Amino acid sequence: MSTIILRISMSLILPIGLVFALYMAFKGHNEPGGGFIGGLMAAATLAIFRMSSGAAELDKLLPCHPRVLVSLGLSIALATAVAPLFVGEGLLRSYLWDLNLPFGESLHIASAMFFDVGVFLVVVGICVGMISRFSEELEL
Amino acid sequence: MDAAWIMLFAVLAPLATGLLTLLLPRESITPRVLLAALGPLVAFGLLWVGSTQIYEAAAVHVAGHGGHAEVHHASGASAYAAIPLPTSGVIPWMTDLNLDLAFNADGLSIFFSLLVSGIGLMIVLYARGYFGPDKDSLFRFYPTLGFFMTAMLGIVVSDYTLQMLLFWEMTSISSFLLIGWDRYDKKAVKLAMQAFFTTGLGGMGLFGGILLLGVTTDIWRWSELTAQIGQIDLADPWVIGAFLLIFIGAATKSAQWPFHYWLPGAMAAPTPVSAFLHSATMVKAGVFLAGRIMPAMSEITLFPWLLIGLGAITMLLGGVIAIQQHDLKRIFAYTTVSQLGLLMAMYGLGAITYPHVGNDGITHLLPAIDLDLTQIANHAFYKAPLFIAAGAIGHFLSRDITRLTGAFYKFPATCLVLLLAGYGLAAGPGTISFQAKELFLYAIYHATEVSAWFWLLMLMTIVTAVCNVAIFVRLATTLLGLPGGMGAFAVPDHDDHHHAHPPEGGLWGSLIWLPGLLLVIPQYVGGLFPGLWNSVFMSGERFAFYESFAQGVPSVWYLVAHPGVPLYCSLAAIIGGVIVGFLPHLRRAVVDVHDTIYPASYWLAVTGGGRVFRMVQTGRLRQYMLIVLFTFLAMFAGAVVNDTRMIEVALVALGDLSAWFEYWPGLLMGMLVCGSALCIPATEIRVVRILLLGACGFAVVGIYLIYRAPDLALTQLMFEIISVLLFVVVLRLLPRDQPQSHAGRPMRIAVSVAVGLVMGWMTLLAATADRPIDDSALLGTVFAQNSYYGDPNSALLSERGGGGSNIVNVILVDFRGWDTLGEVVVLAIAALGVWSLLPSRRKVPTPA
Repeated sequence: MSTIILRISMSLILPIGLVFALYMAFKGHNEPGGGFIGGLMAAATLAIFRMSSGAAELDKLLPCHPRVLVSLGLSIALATAVAPLFVGEGLLRSYLWDLNLPFGESLHIASAMFFDVGVFLVVVGICVGMISRFSEELEL
Repeated sequence: MDAAWIMLFAVLAPLATGLLTLLLPRESITPRVLLAALGPLVAFGLLWVGSTQIYEAAAVHVAGHGGHAEVHHASGASAYAAIPLPTSGVIPWMTDLNLDLAFNADGLSIFFSLLVSGIGLMIVLYARGYFGPDKDSLFRFYPTLGFFMTAMLGIVVSDYTLQMLLFWEMTSISSFLLIGWDRYDKKAVKLAMQAFFTTGLGGMGLFGGILLLGVTTDIWRWSELTAQIGQIDLADPWVIGAFLLIFIGAATKSAQWPFHYWLPGAMAAPTPVSAFLHSATMVKAGVFLAGRIMPAMSEITLFPWLLIGLGAITMLLGGVIAIQQHDLKRIFAYTTVSQLGLLMAMYGLGAITYPHVGNDGITHLLPAIDLDLTQIANHAFYKAPLFIAAGAIGHFLSRDITRLTGAFYKFPATCLVLLLAGYGLAAGPGTISFQAKELFLYAIYHATEVSAWFWLLMLMTIVTAVCNVAIFVRLATTLLGLPGGMGAFAVPDHDDHHHAHPPEGGLWGSLIWLPGLLLVIPQYVGGLFPGLWNSVFMSGERFAFYESFAQGVPSVWYLVAHPGVPLYCSLAAIIGGVIVGFLPHLRRAVVDVHDTIYPASYWLAVTGGGRVFRMVQTGRLRQYMLIVLFTFLAMFAGAVVNDTRMIEVALVALGDLSAWFEYWPGLLMGMLVCGSALCIPATEIRVVRILLLGACGFAVVGIYLIYRAPDLALTQLMFEIISVLLFVVVLRLLPRDQPQSHAGRPMRIAVSVAVGLVMGWMTLLAATADRPIDDSALLGTVFAQNSYYGDPNSALLSERGGGGSNIVNVILVDFRGWDTLGEVVVLAIAALGVWSLLPSRRKVPTPA
């Protein structure tokens, strides 16, 4: 599968794909996108990268077991969900902050964004993990 | 302290002390016995105090209402309706599930609870004598016995029906543990299973009955049942069904025919357990339950006949089998079955009313029941000593009656208990059993005024009494070594659980017969001095209806001085019993045919179940799919038959689509989906199939885009990419495709087409059906309003929005964030599954 054309072009596609995935994940609150879509996108990019460049390259790019991503993502999501309980609010209660930045810009942050990040990480971890496990069976 | 708490502590006391004995070192036996004995003792005292409090409070309450407890007797109409059930306060537990803790203290409850704790104390002491200084057995025995006692106490004092069920199941579990006491004896374990399954089945019936009763009448407490019996619609088949189910629970627990087989089987338990099980616990739980639902049953015409019929069969069967047994424990077990049948029939008789001209010259309708506590107590006071002595004699000599000739002269104390209690079994004059049997015969005699069929019951009772007397005669002649004993005609019996240990001396050694002697004394006190008996039990008696017996149990002299049919029947039974006792017939040890019921059902369940299992679980995915889809189609067909409007609505919706060509982009995409789906079965090449499946998915993406759902489209798109990637990888792992038979293909095609059409139909209905609620109250509308800013007018009453303009995402991470959290967790679990099922095959790079 690892043709030279695909491998060379992957070095271009990979950063764009990952950045685009992040972009999709973060703009999700106001426009089409979201953690799930972003996660799938990043996973697809990484999967194709693994096919073209091999498992060793992916290991260099992602120097941890995918389950670390999954557990990190789950922890973030859970923490976001549970956090309001500590201030006496209901589970998953969301908060909004508007930060005023210099140069007249402002940043609109919803606490649900952290939840979305958690979902993103879980999806990436699962997809990458599954695909590499199945691929390993092939590469025996 | 509140009476409810006192009762709760009383119920839990035996279990608590039983568990505390575990903390003692294994070697300390005497402290263990004393600690274990403390449990029932404390329970007895607390129950006394608690129930007195409740009873007094209830008496004050009743007095405030004109004292209708006294009026009910003369009211004539329904003798039970006005009997109040004094109940203590409620300890809240799970109120929403109709399960709180509340405790009763009417005569039946107090009587049973004192009986359980009192006999329980004796059993604790007897266990010390029975097991001897065997420290391991005692270590294991007392906690289990405490559990059993707590369960039984809980049953009798519980007011909430579900609360009682809880304890009811606890008796099943604890009796299972006790019957299968000898863990290494496979037979004992099997018999324990038999008892557990049989009574557990009844427990299920009781559970269903309680739920049905609660759902149909909203009665979740026994006190409500007694108080509102007039308001319940007893003609409602659901209510009758509920009581029938409750009765099944009572019948299995108290070993009514044909479920009685578990009770003789429970003889595998150590004798202390048998004595307890037969006299005060477990089997009496069923009788207790029959007494509890008594007021309701008397109003349903079916029930008295059911109770009397079943009880009579059980009574006769138990008696006839009992005289043809050789193992003492089995003899007494079948007499217990017989007595349980009698008690069931007694409560059945309670529902038969007969006209009676009272002293005041007015004709009352009186129920043919009397002094039910005396009927139950007299059995406890001879059956427990019988078992205690049987266990003792089994230790010293043998439990086989054919080997006990002249045993009296070797072990006089134990045999004396056996004889005294046996005389009670025979209902000889001088024991309270005599009066009790006489009262029962009176009840039948009065019932014959209603129907001549009761003469048959009278006859069955006499035959049973003959059997009981014959058993006593044989026991006495054998033990005393007189002619006519079982030795001379003996047929060897191999069912012998003899396990001797050297007899101990002193107080601890005497504990093997002393509790029996203590328990048999009330038998004679009651028989000879009924006034004393009445002073204890009369306050609790609910059914003292005969004017002549309204003061309680009559004395023997009274009965003899006022002869009537019942007395002649008693006389006939005693004479017949003596004759049968000396006859050389009916001396073989017969095997009860009902013993095969459980093994047969077990075999049927295991073998038949295995066959059905192999029929259904073929391991072929295609067949599973067919079953699922068939079920779906059947359910849909049922829905359509139930609501034919579904057809009309769908036809109207289809008719409205006359301008179908306006939807051409969507239709085109839909045709693409259908087309690629249809192509899938046409090819045998897997990769092509996967790609066609992908084509389906991409066409669906197109549909989403056409109908402006970019989020869905994006998700579907990414999902298709990932799944095609995964499939391609997995495909290469699969073995080469085998050519498959095409049998059954037409049916599969038909099912697929049908399912497809039904899905389309349902979608059409979902999309076009009239909504029963206003558009502004729709979830979609509410979500849309609150997506960014909170809408003060919205139904959600949210003061703030989700802070995002993409509704889909706001729903996902905010409004329905709980769902998403769950889904993410599920995904993680699935990934864990993959990682554990497919272990990593990567070679760890060895450092160079």
